[in-house]
Amino acid sequence: MSKTFDRFAGIAFLLIGLLFVIESQRISKSSYGSAVGPDIFPIGLGAVLILLSLRLLYETFRYQAKTESGEPVLYKKFLIIFVSALLYAALLEPLGYVITTFAFLLIAFQTMERGKWIKSIIIAGVFSFGVYYFFAEFLGGSLPGFPVF
Amino acid sequence: MNTLQFLMDGFSIAFQWQNILFAFVGVLIGTAVGVLPGIGPMSGVALLIPVTATLTAGLPTEAAAASSIILLAGVYYGAMYGGSTTSILLNTPGESSSVVTTLDGYQMAKQGRAGSALSIAAIGSFAAGIISLIGLVLLAEPLSNVALQFGPAEYFSLMLLGLAAVSGLAGKSMTKALMMTVFGLMLGTIGIDAVSGIARFTYDIPVLYSGLEFLTIAVGLFALGEVFKTVLERDHEDGTMAKIGRILPTRQDLKESAAPILRGSFLGFFIGVLPGAGATLASFFSYIGEKKFSKNPEQFGKGAIAGVAGPESANNAASGGAMIPLLTLGIPGSGTTAILMGALIMYNIQPGPLLFDDHPEVAWGLIASMFVGNLMLLILNMPLVKVFAKIIQTPKKYLLPIIIAISFFGVYAVQYTTFDLYLLLACGVLGYLLTKNDFPVAPLVLALVLGPMIENNMRRALTISNGEFSIFVTNPISLVLLLIAAAWLLIPLLLKLKGRSVVLNEEG
Repeated sequence: MSKTFDRFAGIAFLLIGLLFVIESQRISKSSYGSAVGPDIFPIGLGAVLILLSLRLLYETFRYQAKTESGEPVLYKKFLIIFVSALLYAALLEPLGYVITTFAFLLIAFQTMERGKWIKSIIIAGVFSFGVYYFFAEFLGGSLPGFPVF
Repeated sequence: MNTLQFLMDGFSIAFQWQNILFAFVGVLIGTAVGVLPGIGPMSGVALLIPVTATLTAGLPTEAAAASSIILLAGVYYGAMYGGSTTSILLNTPGESSSVVTTLDGYQMAKQGRAGSALSIAAIGSFAAGIISLIGLVLLAEPLSNVALQFGPAEYFSLMLLGLAAVSGLAGKSMTKALMMTVFGLMLGTIGIDAVSGIARFTYDIPVLYSGLEFLTIAVGLFALGEVFKTVLERDHEDGTMAKIGRILPTRQDLKESAAPILRGSFLGFFIGVLPGAGATLASFFSYIGEKKFSKNPEQFGKGAIAGVAGPESANNAASGGAMIPLLTLGIPGSGTTAILMGALIMYNIQPGPLLFDDHPEVAWGLIASMFVGNLMLLILNMPLVKVFAKIIQTPKKYLLPIIIAISFFGVYAVQYTTFDLYLLLACGVLGYLLTKNDFPVAPLVLALVLGPMIENNMRRALTISNGEFSIFVTNPISLVLLLIAAAWLLIPLLLKLKGRSVVLNEEG
């Protein structure tokens, strides 16, 4: 439990709640003249979230922060995998499924642990080709397979 | 037609060759999911929804729904079998519901009785599975008949009760759990409002008009969240694996575990039926109960077979019991059943009292297939337990990237938008951060699934009453449900004020 995170989250959710209440005012009024329009539910939720966030912020001042004796977090590994996943998402449509999946898996395998290139290449290759052919050819699903040039 | 007739029809569906195959694949993957630490039943089921959706793409809707739900439910109860394997052999629970199994199971393994512990766990799970299914068969009709009398006001209150129950028991801080619930409800309002057809919070972004896809969010929060956690925090699990040895339990073992299995099954079943209290809580209570019942309680923690038999039966029975509110009332009581419900809704099949009338083949086919699936699990788990134990040794470095790739494939194959892939990654990070800081994500997913239904029922009720909110308290059934919901939230708070420790349901 981290006090900083809780405070940050409290403020973030408070803002989300406020945003919901304010933005709900802009939802068009119901057309069929019912007493309850589409804005009541979100306004109510926004209000409850604001109250709960305030409660959480109040709680963060009451408890003692425990000192984190946690282990070192491996940011570098995570960032490499996360960024390559972002690229994977961005390039999936233009470059096709097989190439991007193969590249992503290879990078991720090697990030997790260096070495054993041949095994990594085989697993990444079998997975990307296997999934594509099973899904697109055998099951007849639609998946962008290869670059469209 | 009576219940028996329906059940027989269900079996005729469950015995279709593709459904036998689906049940088999489901329980097989479920066992693997249960064995692998780090992938729980929730992420296992979420990851497989897109795969089943494509596998069943050629079938007519109802048959497709029946086949997929047969597979997905198989993953759910299969995981309950598999979870015990690592608890016993490695002292590392594969699921939170198998945590208490480590207490005696690992001790038994150390004494060279791992085989007995594993087979008793499998036999107990089987007996519990069958008992809870019989309960399901008997209770399904009467409960859905009661629920048919419900109007929108009662439904609204019933769903609030479901949310309150899950939030009240999830995680360490109720404030945080409630915040997650409300946040999930809010996410559910994005998109075109089903009642008035007005776009809400879409800001003219086309992908938002259909709302945020529940599947993307569930896979992101659970599966990717867990993957990111494992990438970021190296876990050490270099425990030596115990030898399995003789698999069949001795006559003495069987005699000692018969009563705990029965007690665990009934206890687990009733705990499973209650919303919010899931398999984890059931196994925990069963362990405490067995310790009280035992003639020599000092044996517990030193390898008492009752300490394996009871909790393992209870967690499996609870997973069967949890299907009751889902199928008969349309209200999921836990994170995993919420995901199962989302899967049914994807096929345009609304779980609830009408399910048994409108789509008997789905409901009864599922129930019948669970009998078949449990039998398969017993057969799978007894002789093949050594094979499954090997899965534990799958290297993390290959497993984690492949889970990411499967999530990408799954989400893209169902949604066909890059937006959902970004949303998936964002939810993964969010899931990791929230879970790490004790914000439970299960209530969020549950709220996301229930949100639109809660809102619709609320507005229908208010339209009937001309905008008077008093309809929720003047209607007696609705009032009672609301009072129970309030009690569910207030009692743990009061107990906490009194300084009592409150049992928490970490599983969700």
